[in-house]
Order: sequence, then structure tokens, then C-alpha cells
Amino acid sequence: MAADLKFAKTHEWVRPESGGVLTVGISSYAVEALTDLVFMQLPAVGRKVKAGESFGEIESVKAVSDLYAPISGEIVEVNAALPGKLETLGKDPYGEGWVVRIKADNPTELDGLLDRAAYESLVGSQPH
Amino acid sequence: MNRSLAASPTDGLAVNTLTIWWDDAADGPTNMAADECLAAEAERRGSLLLRFYGWSETTVSLGGFQKIDDARQIASIRGVPLVRRPSGGGAIVHGSDLTYAAAVPKSHPWGASPQVFYDVLHGAMVEVLADHGIRAWPHPASDARPVHDESLFFCFDRRATGDLVMAGPVAGTFSKIMGSAQRRLAGVVLQHGSLLLRGNTAVGVSARHPAVADMMVGLSLPDQSGLLRAWGARVAHGLGAAVCEENAPFVRGCALEVEGLAARFREERWTARR
Repeated sequence: MAADLKFAKTHEWVRPESGGVLTVGISSYAVEALTDLVFMQLPAVGRKVKAGESFGEIESVKAVSDLYAPISGEIVEVNAALPGKLETLGKDPYGEGWVVRIKADNPTELDGLLDRAAYESLVGSQPH
Repeated sequence: MNRSLAASPTDGLAVNTLTIWWDDAADGPTNMAADECLAAEAERRGSLLLRFYGWSETTVSLGGFQKIDDARQIASIRGVPLVRRPSGGGAIVHGSDLTYAAAVPKSHPWGASPQVFYDVLHGAMVEVLADHGIRAWPHPASDARPVHDESLFFCFDRRATGDLVMAGPVAGTFSKIMGSAQRRLAGVVLQHGSLLLRGNTAVGVSARHPAVADMMVGLSLPDQSGLLRAWGARVAHGLGAAVCEENAPFVRGCALEVEGLAARFREERWTARR
């Protein structure tokens, strides 16, 4: 897990790229907890999202989970190949398994997300 | 959420309480809306909630990712109202089944991972059915058919780990009698489930599935409300919790919210969103 990642409590990770663009994915913890992913719906490019708003859905073991935007902004790119290759989420969740790229409205919102240590502490305390 | 449903800190409700509501039969959109309200209420209370309800007419509920065109091509359910669930899984013909919705905060021991909630609720039903002489068991993980086989449109044609099955109706065969599916929101899990106690004759043969009644030999069917009440008690026992049965239907306590949310479930663009 790269040190430059930030995390939402809802298990999405964020990596700052150049130009105020953020790459967003799903943490390996969440992917492992969901298991057997079967469907995924991604948002349309150009959609505006607010932090905490659902931007997509994923189904596993009969469970539909929402994907939540960790930061407000515009969806500028989606990993269109991902719904057809969901195994990528398990194999490379912080690389090829990225989900969307968001042009942040206010990059300081990143300060409200968890760093790696805080996220690992959060998931370590989750009941199993 | 209507405050009449709200538990104040002095109500004595706590994490180790299972609250149960018995609702009247309603149409699909009303039931789905009520279940979303139930999830919001569970998150606010921080405890496990359970709602039992019926259907005012035979209805097919679609899983969240199922395609509407697949439903429309099945002659045996043509003309039957459709509603799309917020939860996943396959389609269910409602009307003769026992339907429940359970909601639990993700911070609850049963809310953290999908399989745990399936297993504890289904396990409690295995025990209750056994008390009535009905032997059912969870479908084992090693023998699970893929849940994403889209050619299997109906929930009761699929087998996922933990689904309840029993022997029959033909010697040497097994049939699924109980399945559940979830919607996992940011802070709460909504679980839908259905026990096929009796077969539904309001749909064509290909949409009918063997029910408990079809596989019982020399036994009478248990009383439905008694069976569900015993199930609720077993679930609470597994949690070390007390059961709190509400006298008024859940829907009555949040009628305005349910009405507002039901409008979305009535919209064609929701039902036909995939």
C-alpha cells in the first residue's frame, strides 16, 4: 500500500495526481471483505459529485454496496475496463484496479481523509 | 424518520435489543421504501431491527443488478408487477413466501462482513425449522454454484454459500428454501430475505419453486407467525439480546417518509434502470 494514499472511512482510497486530479479506488480490505465481485456500475464522465455521495455500485455475494466519493468534484475519467475484469480489484487494488479520477473542487478536502496509519487502525478495529 | 419511531436515550433501547415490527401486506414500492426507512432507523438507533411483512398482490422483486429485459422475456411472470430491490441477488416471486427485512449498523458485530449476517439469520432458522421436524441446512461453500450466473434469473434457482436447502421434492435432490441479499450502505446493512414455505400458484410453472410444503412428509406446516416469532427469539438469543416487539406497524410510524421513498420505487426509470 503506497504511503501517499488517503482513505475514506467508507474504504475508498485517493491518490493525488497532477493538476488537482485524484485517482480513486477501493481498499484491499474492502475488496477482501466483499469477496466474489460480480457486477459494477461506474458513473458517467462529467458527472459532478459531492464528498460522501454515492457515485457507483458494486455487487458481491448478493450484496450491493455503494461507492462513495471521498471528495467533491467532477468525474473526469473512469476505468471502463474494470466492470469486465473485476478480478483486477483483488489483484492490484491500488494500481490497475483504480475506479475513477476526480477533478477536485477543493483539494483541501483531502485533509479530512485518513492517512494510511489511521486507516489501518480503523480497519484493525472493525469487527469480524 | 418520523420521531414517533425514534428511541430516545431514556427508552432503554440498546445495542443488545432486537426490535421487531409486524407489518400488513403492502405493494412492492411501499415495502421497499419501508425497508430503506428501516435501514435508516437501525443506523440511528445503533441496533438490530427486523420487519416482517406481506404483499398485497403477487409481485416479482428484481435484484439490484438484474436486467429488466430478462424479466420481461419470462412468460411465466408476464403481467405480474415488478419492483426493483435495493439489495442484490436474483428475482423472487412474492406472495406465498415469508418475507423479512433486517437492518444492522456496520459497527455491529453482525454488520461488518456480508456472510456473517446471512449465516446468523439463516442458522437461527435452521434451528426453528428443526423444532418443527423440518431438516434444512446451509448450502456449503465448497458446493456453491456461481452466484453470478445470469442465466439463473430466480433467486431460488441459485445456490450461494449459506442459502438454506432441504431434501426434495424428488429423492436425491435438494431445493433452496431460504435466501437473503443485502444492500450495504455507508453505515448500515439492509438484508432482505425470503422463506419459501408455500409454493406460489399465481405465476406460471417455470417461476414456481419447490417450497417447504412440497417437501414435508407426514408433517403439517407450522403456523407462520409462530414460526417467525420463534425465529426472532432465536436471532435475539444468538446476540444475547432482548426482543422488543412493537405493537404498531413500522410503516405507520414513518408513513410520510415511506410515501416519499415509494415514489422512486414506482418510477419506471428505477425499475428499468438496468
